[in-house]
Amino acid sequence: MDKQKTLCIDYSKCIGCETCEYVCRFVHDVPRIHMIRAASGLMAPLYCRHCEQANCAKVCKRGAIRRDVDGAMVLLPMLCRGCESRQCMLACPYMAIFETDKGVMIVKCDLCAARRQVGQEPACAAMCPCGAIHYVEREAVAGLADEAFCEAEQRVLDCLRPVKGTAAPAPKEPEKP
Amino acid sequence: MEAMNFNFLCDEPPPPSGASVGIVGAGPSGLAAAGYLSCLGHAVEVYDKMPKPGGLMLFGIPGHRIPSARIEAGTLRMARRYGVVFHTHTKICCSAPLFEEEGDHFCTDVKGLGDMVKKHDAIMIATGSWRSRRLEVPGEELPGVCSGLEFLFPIRAARYCAPGVKAPDVAGKRVVVVGAGHSAVDVAHGAAALGAAGVDMLYRRTRAEAPCGSLEIERLEASGVRWHEGCAPTRVLGGDRAAGIEFRRRTPRGEEIETLPADVVVTAIGEVATPPFAKELGLESVRKGEVRWLNMTAIENVFVAGDALTGPSKIGKAVYSGLRAARSLGNWLELKAQNRQTEFSGDEFISREADRFPGGQFKDAPRVRGL
Repeated sequence: MDKQKTLCIDYSKCIGCETCEYVCRFVHDVPRIHMIRAASGLMAPLYCRHCEQANCAKVCKRGAIRRDVDGAMVLLPMLCRGCESRQCMLACPYMAIFETDKGVMIVKCDLCAARRQVGQEPACAAMCPCGAIHYVEREAVAGLADEAFCEAEQRVLDCLRPVKGTAAPAPKEPEKP
Repeated sequence: MEAMNFNFLCDEPPPPSGASVGIVGAGPSGLAAAGYLSCLGHAVEVYDKMPKPGGLMLFGIPGHRIPSARIEAGTLRMARRYGVVFHTHTKICCSAPLFEEEGDHFCTDVKGLGDMVKKHDAIMIATGSWRSRRLEVPGEELPGVCSGLEFLFPIRAARYCAPGVKAPDVAGKRVVVVGAGHSAVDVAHGAAALGAAGVDMLYRRTRAEAPCGSLEIERLEASGVRWHEGCAPTRVLGGDRAAGIEFRRRTPRGEEIETLPADVVVTAIGEVATPPFAKELGLESVRKGEVRWLNMTAIENVFVAGDALTGPSKIGKAVYSGLRAARSLGNWLELKAQNRQTEFSGDEFISREADRFPGGQFKDAPRVRGL
């Protein structure tokens, strides 16, 4: 498969306005991108990077997360049985698989599969007021990553995966402002 | 800069539907609605009191956060490709006397709601929240005290050749900013950039609770702004103009009264919604979800969306509210064209949908584990 496209958010440009989450909600009813506010006051939208080696797909016993023709990792609700162990959620290094109270109780980004079929780009990328969400070929991500990008990305990842022993006691629930 | 694509729901302009829709307010909510409705083929006209469409995305939030070129390209695309007409410098009716809200001095034309109802098949009110909240402390009316928007507007708007608009004069002055939202941060950065002698920020809670996030505060401190938390202003000091501010500081030992000298006090503590004709339109019941039709006001073809309905919120929520109201308006127009609009009004689906998003948080927000 050539030229897989993916989402790429420049956290250094993000102002936490939640437009991505709400536009996603409008298009998909249950949002697949989610703005968190950590107890430290850090705000960041969590999103799926459609990894080349996707952990979520590896751990799913039913093979319910598969790569589609454009390279997006999509959840197949017909195969997902909504298992209680939620292996995919735990396996995702970016915390981009979410629990809901609908359907199979799991949602993940499919890069707006229905929109892609008619040649449109993911809705969040189209509507981000800051231009922080890029829908690009995987190879182009490195080109977007300047110093500010990497610093902001690292800040978010440090919050999602604190190094053992260094982190402040983790809060239970991320709270929204 | 690539355009913000308000028309993200369609690729091509659809054939004209023959219906005409007026949208009052060209902020995130109004523009999202304009994008949705122009994708249905309606002839959309957008009215805004400011010199350019974009609302607070353009005039309130500085360009290093939201690139103005991206918003401008998005509205231009809507105008060129989808035939959306923008009437700038135009205010629709006045619930309050003119010049009471921020940005009123830009408008040169005032139209009544009655004319609008006659001219358009349906109207969407998305006027946002433009009246600055006040501290309600003595001395607030002194010269030298201004709101966050009053401070931020001229910085952006001076470029759009509005006569008599100058960037605030803070060079060499001591500035105190009250609040810790994004606009408070922007005011502090703005004051520092304009050469203020010193910038102090007062916030009544802690940095972890600050709406702007802790990172912004660290950045401010790095640029020399002094941060004071647990501080609630009690009085603005000064005779004929502001000379300082007195506040209660929460300390482990209790509360202490302190003062800071200040030549300029900026209160960036939020805004309140200013919908025109709130009472006549019955906005309170729309807010509660007691509606015949989603987002419809007491006047049948007038809809309401965004901050005007829910009070100040983030861009995302305003966009969602605009899109949702636009969908509701579109459905209603379609049924009205078939003369069937009464068939579905006030049905179960509508009240369920109104319940889901009563203007506050969603109950079914996605959950993450372990963070």
